[in-house]
Parts: sequence; structure tokens; C-alpha cells
Amino acid sequence: MLFDTRPKVPVHVVQTGETFPCAHDESLLQAMLRVGRKGIPVGCVNGGCGVCKVHIVEGACQSLGPISRAHVSAEEEAAGFTLACRVAPVTAVRLEVTGKFEKPFCKGFASTANA
Amino acid sequence: MGIMRIGHVSIKVMDMAAALKHYENVLGMTKTMEDKHGNVYLKCWDEWDKYSLILTPSDQAGLNHVAYKVEKDSDLDDLQKKVEAYGVATTVLDEGTLPSTGRLLQFKLPSGHEMRLYAMKEYVGTEVGTNNPDPWPDNIKGAGAHWLDHCLLMCEMNPEAGVNKVAENTKFVIEALDFFLTEQVLVGPNGDMQAATWLARTTTPHDIAFVAGPRMGLHHIAFFLDSWHDILKSADVMAKTKTRIDVAPTRHGITRGETIYFFDPSGNRNETFAGLGYLAQRDRPVTTWDESHLGSGIFYHTGEMVPSFTEVYT
Repeated sequence: MLFDTRPKVPVHVVQTGETFPCAHDESLLQAMLRVGRKGIPVGCVNGGCGVCKVHIVEGACQSLGPISRAHVSAEEEAAGFTLACRVAPVTAVRLEVTGKFEKPFCKGFASTANA
Repeated sequence: MGIMRIGHVSIKVMDMAAALKHYENVLGMTKTMEDKHGNVYLKCWDEWDKYSLILTPSDQAGLNHVAYKVEKDSDLDDLQKKVEAYGVATTVLDEGTLPSTGRLLQFKLPSGHEMRLYAMKEYVGTEVGTNNPDPWPDNIKGAGAHWLDHCLLMCEMNPEAGVNKVAENTKFVIEALDFFLTEQVLVGPNGDMQAATWLARTTTPHDIAFVAGPRMGLHHIAFFLDSWHDILKSADVMAKTKTRIDVAPTRHGITRGETIYFFDPSGNRNETFAGLGYLAQRDRPVTTWDESHLGSGIFYHTGEMVPSFTEVYT
């Protein structure tokens, strides 16, 4: 981002091996979207749907807003799980993607039925 | 006549101030009431009953219940008999359980979603009134939605386990609540599994829709707009307010609706929806979409599935 001079820290996605820069005042997911990467699944981007659930394995983040307890329990949050759309990095971050798209309604019926 | 139309939805929000700002400034609704539990009630300018949306404070997003309005109080007794005869338990909630609302017939759809029926809600009038009204009021904010139009509920489907709550819900609302089927998606090797259905009580293509997913949930609540240009304007409003757009303005093959999808600040999906589509009637033949044409059914122009559209919900 040529014109974005905000200081940034690297965010590393373990599964895909990719790293993208993230400012301290934007969410991990917003930063990924801004540079057009796809390592973390993108859903509502508002803390409700849970598809961008990640485990912060290294580094520190701060909350940008509430996350749905239907997808991240208080115990999980204490253990480093969160939603990538609702946290900003304080330091460099290494994360594992744990959320995923659930089985879509439109795919796999034929293959399931033929199996 | 039984059920007339969708009356309200009650949804969970994680940040009430942000939610209220969204439904007021993006949809253009007005707050009409707040109860002692902190639940907030809103209506659209063209609605005449006291509210069509209840926001309840929660630690998660999603649906509490959806309510439909019946014509007469005695319809509640008739429908209670039909629902019970179908084998679904009901509860009658006393008048005042919801403020400004008469008694409610409460039951669960086969999918597990809570539905309520009521005959009375306090009349407050539309913004333009009934005597020599202007076509629209001057105080419209945001998209200026006319009314809550329909909701789409995600229902569990697991063909291997023989679970299809879409088909179960569809049968239930037709037989017990007298909805009629307008469109359906049929999948599977024999093309006979209902994976999605659209049903009506009014003359619009859907007053409720059911779509299959891995778990039950709320896919979206939809608000009516007049025209394609209003859809463009609502997208402009979303850009101005930094609202997360899910699907930019397009047309559905199914229902022919002109549409834009977006998320409220808790991740509940909203739709603003325009166009009559067609005149839904009980004797109009049911439209069927097969698995190979599903992409066009959902997004008619591209014909391509958008993963987040079918796989993300609250």
C-alpha cells in the first residue's frame, strides 16, 4: 500500500505460510482483505458468524469489539482463540486458522448420494 | 384468513448502540420503544404497527423468533388446533408478554426455529398517514426501507443421516399454517430432495424461505424497497456508512428479486429487496431449480455461487 504509511506488524498464517502487514488499528482480517490475500475465511466481518476463527500462537492482539460466544467460548478466548475480524495486532502475530466454511448446502449432495 | 404476513423478527445483537445506529441509519428504521430488559423495538416508515424488529442484547448473533400476524384473534385458536393436530406442541403467551402486543401462539418449526403468531399489535400509523398521504415522508434516513418483507431460515440437512429439515418445515407450514409453495430447489441423484423452498401467504413470491445447511440458523432478514434504483441508493448508503456488503446489487433468478446483501454490526445478514417478482398465487405452478442451475437461481447474472453467501450465517 503505497500511500498507507501507518506502522505495521507482520501477520503470519501458519497453514498457508503467507505473511501480510497489519496496522495496529485494523483487524487482522481487514488487513488481509486490504492486500487481497485469502488465507483466513471471510464471513460477516462483524464478529457474528465465526468463520474467521483463529488461534493466536505467537504475539499479542487487542479486542476491537465483541465476538460471538456461539463460536468462541470464554475458555477458548483465554486460550488464545478469537475471531480475526475483531482483533488488532499489538505485536507481530503468528496464527492458525481454526474456523472453516461448513459444508455448503449446494455442493456434495450428488457425490454423497452416489457414495 | 389465518396468517396475513410477517409481523416481526427478534434478533440477538452483541453491541446495542452499534445495532441501533445500523438499523436507524442504514435501513432507515425508527426506534419506537425500549422495554425494561433493554430490548429495543423499531419499525419502518411505511409500517403501521408499532414494531417489526426487536433487538435483544446478547453475547452472540442470530434469531430469537420470527412472528407472523393473523387476521382475527380466533385464528389463533384455529391454528393452535391445526398445529397441535400436526403433532407440534404449542404454548399461548399472555397478552403483554411482548409490549404492545396481544397473546402469542408459540411453537417450534421442525427445524427448531421458534415461530410466534399474534392477532393484535398496537397501531401507530405510517409516517405519511392515511388522509391524503404523500407517497413518501421527508424524514427518510438511509435506504428508507418500506417494511420487513421476509426471512430466510437455515435448516439442518444431512442426506447420509436422512435428515432434511427443509422438507419437514415446508410440509409443516403448508399443512398446518396454509402457506403455499412458490419455488423450490431439488437436488440429489433422483432430483427429489428439497434443499431450499420459498413459500407465501401474501401475493409476493416469499414470506418465508428455508435453505439447507449443516446447522440451523438465520440466513437473513429482508426489507422491501420500491425499485432497482433504490437498491443502488442503499448500496451507496452502505458505502457511506462503511457497512459490510456481502453481495453487491444483483438479481436473483429465484423470485426474480433485485437485491443487495449486507451484515449488521453483529454479523446478522440483512437484505434490501426490490421488485414484485411476480404475482404469487395458489394456482400458479411451482418453479423448480435443479442442482446444475442453482448458481443462476441464486445470482442470475453471474450464475456463480458465492461461498460466503451460502456458508456464512448466524
